[in-house]
Amino acid sequence: MSSSRRDFFARSVQLGVLLGAGVPLLQACGGSDDKRSKVAKSIADGLPPEKGPLRIINYADYVNLEVIADFESKYGVKVEITTIDTDTEATTKLASGAIKADVHHSMASTSIGNLIAGGLVQPLNKSYLTNFPNVISTFNDPWYDPGATYSVPYTFFGTGIGYRTDRIDPALVEAQGWDTIWNATDFKGQVSVLDDEREAFTMAMLRKGVTDINTTDQKIIDQALADVSELIDLVNVKVNIEAYKDIPEGTTTVAQTWSADLIAGAAGYLPEGVTDEVLGFWHPPAGSYVVTNDSMGVLSDAQSPVLAHLYLNFLLDNEVAEKNFSWVGYLPAIAKLDADYVIGAGYVPEHLRNCVPTNDEIAQALYLRPLGATGDAQYETAWAKFTAGG
Amino acid sequence: MTAALPSRRGGSSRIWAAFAVPGIGWLVAFFVVSVYAVMAVAFGDVDPFLKTPIPAWNPLEWDVTTMSNVLGEVFNGYLRPVFVRTFWFVGLALLGCILVGYPVAYFAARKAGRSKGLLLAALVLPFWISYLMRMLAWTNLLQPDGFVNQVLGWFSLPDNRNWLDGDWYTVVIGLMYGYVPFFILPLYSTLERIDGRLIEAGRDLGASSMQTFIRVTLPLSVPGLMAASVITILPMFGDYYTNTYLTSGSPRTEMVGNQIENYLRNTGQPQTGASLVLILMAMLFVLMVYYMVTTIRQQRAAER
Repeated sequence: MSSSRRDFFARSVQLGVLLGAGVPLLQACGGSDDKRSKVAKSIADGLPPEKGPLRIINYADYVNLEVIADFESKYGVKVEITTIDTDTEATTKLASGAIKADVHHSMASTSIGNLIAGGLVQPLNKSYLTNFPNVISTFNDPWYDPGATYSVPYTFFGTGIGYRTDRIDPALVEAQGWDTIWNATDFKGQVSVLDDEREAFTMAMLRKGVTDINTTDQKIIDQALADVSELIDLVNVKVNIEAYKDIPEGTTTVAQTWSADLIAGAAGYLPEGVTDEVLGFWHPPAGSYVVTNDSMGVLSDAQSPVLAHLYLNFLLDNEVAEKNFSWVGYLPAIAKLDADYVIGAGYVPEHLRNCVPTNDEIAQALYLRPLGATGDAQYETAWAKFTAGG
Repeated sequence: MTAALPSRRGGSSRIWAAFAVPGIGWLVAFFVVSVYAVMAVAFGDVDPFLKTPIPAWNPLEWDVTTMSNVLGEVFNGYLRPVFVRTFWFVGLALLGCILVGYPVAYFAARKAGRSKGLLLAALVLPFWISYLMRMLAWTNLLQPDGFVNQVLGWFSLPDNRNWLDGDWYTVVIGLMYGYVPFFILPLYSTLERIDGRLIEAGRDLGASSMQTFIRVTLPLSVPGLMAASVITILPMFGDYYTNTYLTSGSPRTEMVGNQIENYLRNTGQPQTGASLVLILMAMLFVLMVYYMVTTIRQQRAAER
């Protein structure tokens, strides 16, 4: 969730007027050299857990507080959660020392490499992670962290189109694919794309048949910018991560969104008298389907590293993961909680089965990979041009 | 005896001068140092892995490349429409504040009589609720099934408008609503202090109510009008969440504050965000200088 759906509200809540914008900037001024020079080592086997408190950094509402309470009572410790708004903010504050934490709850796949290189996370000692075999096998050796040395997966989701089935024929969406968003001219002001430059430009690339979604070819990025900018006049596009509530509530008809948003929307955001039948989701076929996941890790300067390992292990427990999913709405990367299980248990409506990426889809998925400072800047600058009005 | 007076005066003035120390300390700590930090980031570097700013505290090491590029974009690139749009939005919102706020301030200061206290309390009331909460309330009021459309429906007017779909007037109305209390209060204090005998003199000399207002009250209220305008537009220029809330992130209404927020919080280019902060500050500084020069001239004219 490099730009989580929850970022939007929390970001807005916590920010002030212009001077407020300077606060993170000033906080970020602390040096990061001391962190970089650290050589992180994993903890030894069989250590007793610390007395806590366990300090967690996470997005708002991205973990079930009942699960936290269960962990507290099981280990007799207090858990303190510091809320962050964006992945970049988390990295910046951890690097500057503005936030001290034991567990990074939601590392974006694109950031893990940088967090490792920056010395911010420590290698995990798998002897504490007895529940790790519960994880979907694809995540045993993820591309962003070979061997899952520094991270364990938390949630995963795919990127597609969320829409209202009572306003757009599902067959039409299936036939049009990504063009659905460009063709939604009857729904001006009710169309949105994700507030995430990589996701939005990837959509434009895939629409034109470009599957090298990690390209730094400026021509392709410029074309994606031009294509996304067309949406401003065509459909009066909005840029946000609120489809999880806007589609159920009806203020948005078509949106580029994450699959988990439809699950969360069906569970908690439908107005009275509206059934989940109005929610539809489309995603590209395996091979051109972008699947993303967030991961958990232990920070290199954790004061309670053993407790942090135990917390990660706790979240990988099948029952705990299910309890967490029942509230968060984002699927945990736990093998037991596959589509059949979550549909059978009533967490996901049958007609939204495609919101749960299958093992094949995960295996063949396209991944948004880190591009380095220069590559990221290409996308960020193009995004700034789009949000400036195209 | 006469020799002791200067000494006593000197001691007294030093005591009074000492009263300014906390204010100066505050200013140095939270303005001068802060602005210097922003400059150090704007002219500094970025950690290639963690994307955190590496401030250049030594001015001799300042790299002006980013600032130069940003200035180019502001005056002749993609940031130009953002700045133009921001100036338009703020200008229109200020105009709205004047049209709405002046009559309210005038009535409260000059005509409210015994109700003055109650009215003042009502004017201060919005400050009890945070700006953010008031904007959230607006999003509910302006939703397609919100109260605004319901009211329009009662009068058989079109009631299916989605006010939150990215229109400039929604942002302008939001800015107006959010900042008009800041406009009214300083203007009220100026209008209230106008010597009533000057207005009576105008009437005694044969001027009508309107002529008295235009020739006496309005000119005398200009300092308050200027102060209210400055107090209102400075935060408006940096505002970004009014727009974020009331248009759900439409590129058609992007303001400078939104670009600053994006660059500082969501990208690995904090120098660009810091450069934008400095450019906006420089523009607002020009407005502040104009305000100060005008105020000083008016004071001198009044002293003559």
